[in-house]
Amino acid sequence: MVLSIFKVLWNNLKQGPSTDPFPFGETFTPARLRGKVAVDPEACVGCGVCATVCAGNAIKHVERGDGSGKDFYVWHNTCTFCGLCQHYCPTDAIRLTNNWSTAHRNEDKYKMKEHEFVAYARCPQCDQAMPNMPHAMLDHIYGAPTEELEAIYKLCPECRRQKAAQQFGAQIHD
Amino acid sequence: MSIIDAIKSKAVRSPWLYRINAGSCNGCDVELATTALIPRYDVERLGCKYCGSPKHADIVLITGPVTSMVKEKVLRVYEEIPDPKVTVAVGVCPISGGVFRGSYSVPIMLDDIIPVDVNVPGCPPRPQAILEGVAMALDIWKTRI
Amino acid sequence: MLDMLSHSFHLLIFPGGLFALLLGLLLKGFDRKICARLQRRVGPPILQPFYDIIKLSQKETIIPDTANKAMFKFAPVFGFMGMMVAAMLIPVPGVWNGASGLGDMLMLLYLLPIPAIAFMLAGSASSSPYGAIGTSREMVLMFAYEIPLLVVLLTVALKAGGADGSEFSLAQVVAFQHENGSFGFNLSMLPAFIAFLCFIPGTMGVVPFDLPEAEPELLEGPLLEYSGPLLAMFNLMSALKLVVVMGLGVALFFPGTIPGGAVANLAWFIFKCFMLMLVSVTIVRTATGRLRTDQTFKFYLKYPSVLAYVSLGLTLLFK
Repeated sequence: MVLSIFKVLWNNLKQGPSTDPFPFGETFTPARLRGKVAVDPEACVGCGVCATVCAGNAIKHVERGDGSGKDFYVWHNTCTFCGLCQHYCPTDAIRLTNNWSTAHRNEDKYKMKEHEFVAYARCPQCDQAMPNMPHAMLDHIYGAPTEELEAIYKLCPECRRQKAAQQFGAQIHD
Repeated sequence: MSIIDAIKSKAVRSPWLYRINAGSCNGCDVELATTALIPRYDVERLGCKYCGSPKHADIVLITGPVTSMVKEKVLRVYEEIPDPKVTVAVGVCPISGGVFRGSYSVPIMLDDIIPVDVNVPGCPPRPQAILEGVAMALDIWKTRI
Repeated sequence: MLDMLSHSFHLLIFPGGLFALLLGLLLKGFDRKICARLQRRVGPPILQPFYDIIKLSQKETIIPDTANKAMFKFAPVFGFMGMMVAAMLIPVPGVWNGASGLGDMLMLLYLLPIPAIAFMLAGSASSSPYGAIGTSREMVLMFAYEIPLLVVLLTVALKAGGADGSEFSLAQVVAFQHENGSFGFNLSMLPAFIAFLCFIPGTMGVVPFDLPEAEPELLEGPLLEYSGPLLAMFNLMSALKLVVVMGLGVALFFPGTIPGGAVANLAWFIFKCFMLMLVSVTIVRTATGRLRTDQTFKFYLKYPSVLAYVSLGLTLLFK
């Protein structure tokens, strides 16, 4: 009983060290490890739900003065890797990569951020700026989009209302 | 002369670690213990050793969001560490306040009161990230000794 | 004059001083490396204790305001010098048979507690509560492990004295064993040897009995307030102590020599010291956890003391 520890020690000695070679060599990274946040500006709709749910207040959306879009900031130095943003993002635009390498000098403290520009879409009819509506979002809401939807989803709310009214009027006419 | 310098430069290979818990939730402290105790990470390879006394330390690892109650104590312990020393902030809390930023009891960040050299953000950071931070601190320690 | 020269050579170069320091630090490096391997770690480089000493000697020294400054600086020097003298008395069988007329076991018995006394001085001079607790624990521990050591030395002295009387000179003890076989292989000396093995971790302050330093609870106790060169001196002292205790063990129980001259015997001595350290320090400290103060005291009174007395009785019986 008491001597079983010596068996453990002997086995340890036989098996050799199990140390990762890390700072001098490669290490392993699980595929689903929650690490640094990455943003895909193409897929972002700028809804801001990520900034609302963010536990560490790491995400910030800033409207550009000229109305061309939003600046999307993520400060890694206050991100807790909780994954709430990824969970709530409607279009999977924000996601946690498995990049855990976060150590940096203190001079770079405020450079440890992700900065993306989320451009607004333009209405093809009236050239009005409006939040981007990626196809992924459409799939998310309506499943497989119909032809009718494909026709109007790129329009601004105003033009869409007009278009819908015209269609409705045409139906009454018939 | 050069032999003496060569011997002196070997001091780089013996950085002793000391950790200060500045109001941490213990998550980062567990990860620090991991780097020391779990064979997979084994920080002793780098010549590091966790020591119990600030007087023996060379690299100080600070965790936690420096609450107003603990601030004076952190400063006092920090002053007890003999020069030359390197400071590493572990976890998001000492770096930015993390989830506690804006709280009534977390008025400052760590680098407002102490010269910080290396930051290892994360909540908690991965043990490998801590090792990376310690390796980075070693590069700074090389220039100070 | 010549006597003076040879004594200073033995004190400063071999076997005390330089040789003992290098050997002690090397043994400590091997100790840490093997401990790491037993835990499936890579561990520090073998020369790590040397790097530590080099680093510590370049650091700033901080002396607490409330400390007794003279005593605070004196304690490590006192312990270091005591161990230097003790290392001088250790015979290296086949190379140097000990200072005849100078070194005997009673002298070593007085010199061996000096590191413990230095720790006590350091702990009480540093005016730290941890140091104070460390000091009181060191005292308890010292009383516990000195009893078996005394009885073991007495047994060896009686055994080496032959049919009548006793022999306290280490050189004579080694010479006696060269003629009549090592005590380590003698059945009536076996309990004494086991008692000596139990004594080693206590005096070296390693894990099952590291009460005064107890890193997780006492934060290295008496050493808490020390920094820089003074701490380096304490490290050197414990390296010297390692050599003294291992050398004493080799001299008392396994002073056999091998053919091949002084160099081969020196290597043989180092190998024996290493094996003794492996058995009584490295494996013990890897395999066990710390005992409480009262448990330690009871352990030393129960097992090593009784074993040593058994050996003493057997020796007296078959004299």
